[in-house]
Amino acid sequence: MITSIAIALFVVSSLCAMTRVIRGPGLADRVIALDVALVALMGAIATKAASTGSTTYLPIVAVVAIVGFTATVVMTRFLEQGSSS
Amino acid sequence: MNPISSALILGGAVLAVLAGVGLLRFKSAAARFHSAGKASPIAFIFVAIGAAPEVGLFGAAQLAVAAAALVLTLPAATHLLFRATHHTSSSAYLRDDALTRDRINQASKETQP
Repeated sequence: MITSIAIALFVVSSLCAMTRVIRGPGLADRVIALDVALVALMGAIATKAASTGSTTYLPIVAVVAIVGFTATVVMTRFLEQGSSS
Repeated sequence: MNPISSALILGGAVLAVLAGVGLLRFKSAAARFHSAGKASPIAFIFVAIGAAPEVGLFGAAQLAVAAAALVLTLPAATHLLFRATHHTSSSAYLRDDALTRDRINQASKETQP
């Protein structure tokens, strides 16, 4: 019950972020909205692991955290390079 | 799940919803970056603390690694994104009266002839 409510809230958060990805006026809005969607995904995976007690999907959480940071930094470099050249 | 874990996980989920709603509703891009970059790592910390007693010691260690990576990297990423936006977009990402002094663009104007 608690797990379903929490995962529904994470889905709502990720839907808000996806709306901002579609509507966002600039590239930076889209990047940070994708970051929020990734955090919602990580929270949902951690909630599911807590409800079932299995640690099978928990490495995905750590990997998604690091890969999301790398993707944001790369998009930031792309933003700065694209304007100067 | 014990009640404290449930309460922490629900609190983290509510914080994630607040981050999403702030991302959707704020007018200026700087306010949206604030909402996304501050609320979402705290939301994940809440969920990780709530989930840690349920998944054993190894799972708790993995959750701690994920939370540490997120807390160390997401503010830095948001800061880089702020800098890039401030360098590239001339206006319309902040309100007009939000800045009293702009050191970054002032320095770049001084270096450029």
